[in-house]
Amino acid sequence: MNMILPKSKVHELVENALKDYEVVAPTDNEGLIVFKQITNPSEVTLDFLNTVLPVKAVLLQQTETLFTFSHGKSVTINAPETVGEIIILGVRPCDAQSLVILDHVFADEYKDPYVKKRENTILIGLNCLTPGVNCFCTSVEGGPFSGEYTDIQLTDIGENYLVEVETDKGKAFIESMGDLVTPASEEDEKKKRELENKAKSAIQRVMNTDEIVDRLEKIFESSFWRGIALKCLGCAACTYVCPTCHCFDMQDETTFTGGARIRVWDSCMYPEYTRHASGYNPRPERMNRVRNRVYHKYNYFPKNCDVIACVGCGRCIEVCPVNIDIIDVINKTSEVNP
Amino acid sequence: MVNINDLRKAVKDIVQRDVVKYVIGYEKGSYGLRVSPSFAFTPEDVDKFVFSPLCSNNLAVYLLLEEKLPLKRNEKEDTRKIGIVVKGCDSRAVQQIIQEKGIDREDVVLIGVPCTGVVDLKKVTEKFQNTQNGEVIEEGENFVITVDGKSCKFSKEELLCDTCVVCENPNPVIYDVFIGEEVESKKEDYKRIHQLEEKSLEEKWEYWQEKFERCIRCYACRNACPLCYCKECMVDHLSPQWVRRSVNISENTAWNIMRAFHLAGRCIGCGACERACPMDIPLMELNKKLEKDIKEMFDYEAGTEEKPLLAIFNPEDPEEFVL
Repeated sequence: MNMILPKSKVHELVENALKDYEVVAPTDNEGLIVFKQITNPSEVTLDFLNTVLPVKAVLLQQTETLFTFSHGKSVTINAPETVGEIIILGVRPCDAQSLVILDHVFADEYKDPYVKKRENTILIGLNCLTPGVNCFCTSVEGGPFSGEYTDIQLTDIGENYLVEVETDKGKAFIESMGDLVTPASEEDEKKKRELENKAKSAIQRVMNTDEIVDRLEKIFESSFWRGIALKCLGCAACTYVCPTCHCFDMQDETTFTGGARIRVWDSCMYPEYTRHASGYNPRPERMNRVRNRVYHKYNYFPKNCDVIACVGCGRCIEVCPVNIDIIDVINKTSEVNP
Repeated sequence: MVNINDLRKAVKDIVQRDVVKYVIGYEKGSYGLRVSPSFAFTPEDVDKFVFSPLCSNNLAVYLLLEEKLPLKRNEKEDTRKIGIVVKGCDSRAVQQIIQEKGIDREDVVLIGVPCTGVVDLKKVTEKFQNTQNGEVIEEGENFVITVDGKSCKFSKEELLCDTCVVCENPNPVIYDVFIGEEVESKKEDYKRIHQLEEKSLEEKWEYWQEKFERCIRCYACRNACPLCYCKECMVDHLSPQWVRRSVNISENTAWNIMRAFHLAGRCIGCGACERACPMDIPLMELNKKLEKDIKEMFDYEAGTEEKPLLAIFNPEDPEEFVL
């Protein structure tokens, strides 16, 4: 059964959660909305379009220590402490969907430390009432109200949040909150459905993903890609703000007293990403790199995992300094002659 | 104001020349108020060109971004010129690159346009969440923004990029053709820099730590900057590794300060880095501080002089800062 949580009780809910969990939530830093581990419920903001960095920044941190080591004759190696239970509050449906895509990479045969973190995490999602200019989740099997990828899904229905429990983990958490939540009425459910229809119709941008895998298959060698990449500056903004981009680099970083093996985000937009030790680079031009990013999301990934590696959050469109627009690029591919 | 037909006519004339490879200008972007860089190879391509206060990209960045692959057998190097539409700051960037011998003056055709300042889209999104069906019109000292049929008037200062509000070079400093009429320049008062200078050392440190902590090292600042054109950037260098790949306050501070120093006397103040930053780091505050100090100490302004600052020696130069 669905429940309601009065907005005035969110503070108390977060306070309760802080006793047993690490709580990560969207915070407003001079207008910049970012996920941050909070210590006080007043830091949370739930009035936002979307966070600048996606939820991957929490579960697949930009810099992650794999182990630390010491110098000298008796070297000691220490793995970092295992993670505690985390709650991530205010996850948008697109970001929640992105984790399911990342699971294909990090939770397949080899179980990355990401898996443990993911298992220890309760995702509290927040449906989108007013999607942004560049939201196109409805084109990639998502939606502003697609709550199926979280443990608990919230909808802002005015004075209250409608609380939908999606998993056992979510159920246990909500039950532990006692009488902060009360059963929802038919009226509340109706309100949600209305808002859902409104939000869906507010999404203006559409990406044509029909037969995208085949479409791309035929135009790999097309000069089209050269035209698209002409204006690319080669920065990594698109890949770093992307909820599904997951490439990383590993480094051993040492100081006088010890060191650590770290894993850090990397980007296929950098020439160094594919440069061999010999100096040879199989993707020598920005054209190769821009094309690779598009193919990875809309051709290679669907071929390998049966899912497009894009959730339609529109972040890459938003941050690109030169307006390389993934919706535009994909839609134009249908006009390219093989 | 630039008459778009005059601009297109001039560009068409240039792009038709055999010695010109392409001309870079602006076209309407893919959504909302965005404008995108545009490459014209033929006169027909030029019909897409636009010019408005939304044309914020510094196109000079493309001059040294072109990747030149090793020539194949019997292949000849393409030495044709590149044309660019330049505003005041863009032209200063080109001038600076020419002085530094990054490019040859003969390799570029410059189509100069006067600029009354460009709109900071971040400031617009603070006022309108959705600008999908929007347009911006310049009306004297105001901008009129129309979204979904509703119009609102804002003073220019409210929406212009901070650097444009105090731009001293709105007209191109070099060009081959000039379209439109010269506009009046404004006065840079370094108000924000004075405010920052008044902070104590501890306050400054705290202020910048908070800013640098946000940096995700996507290097959009570097890549959007027309003067960041090193073949290999110091952060990409592996042996020695000057800056580590770890993204933390220490390395982020190293990166941002090193970049600012490498632009000392070279930054032409267009603000492209700050506009490109997805994390809203006020990078121009670093650049402007250096610009101010250099102006005061050496009476030098990048991109408007004969030689690069570091190529000039004057016995009268102050040297109190030499340790």
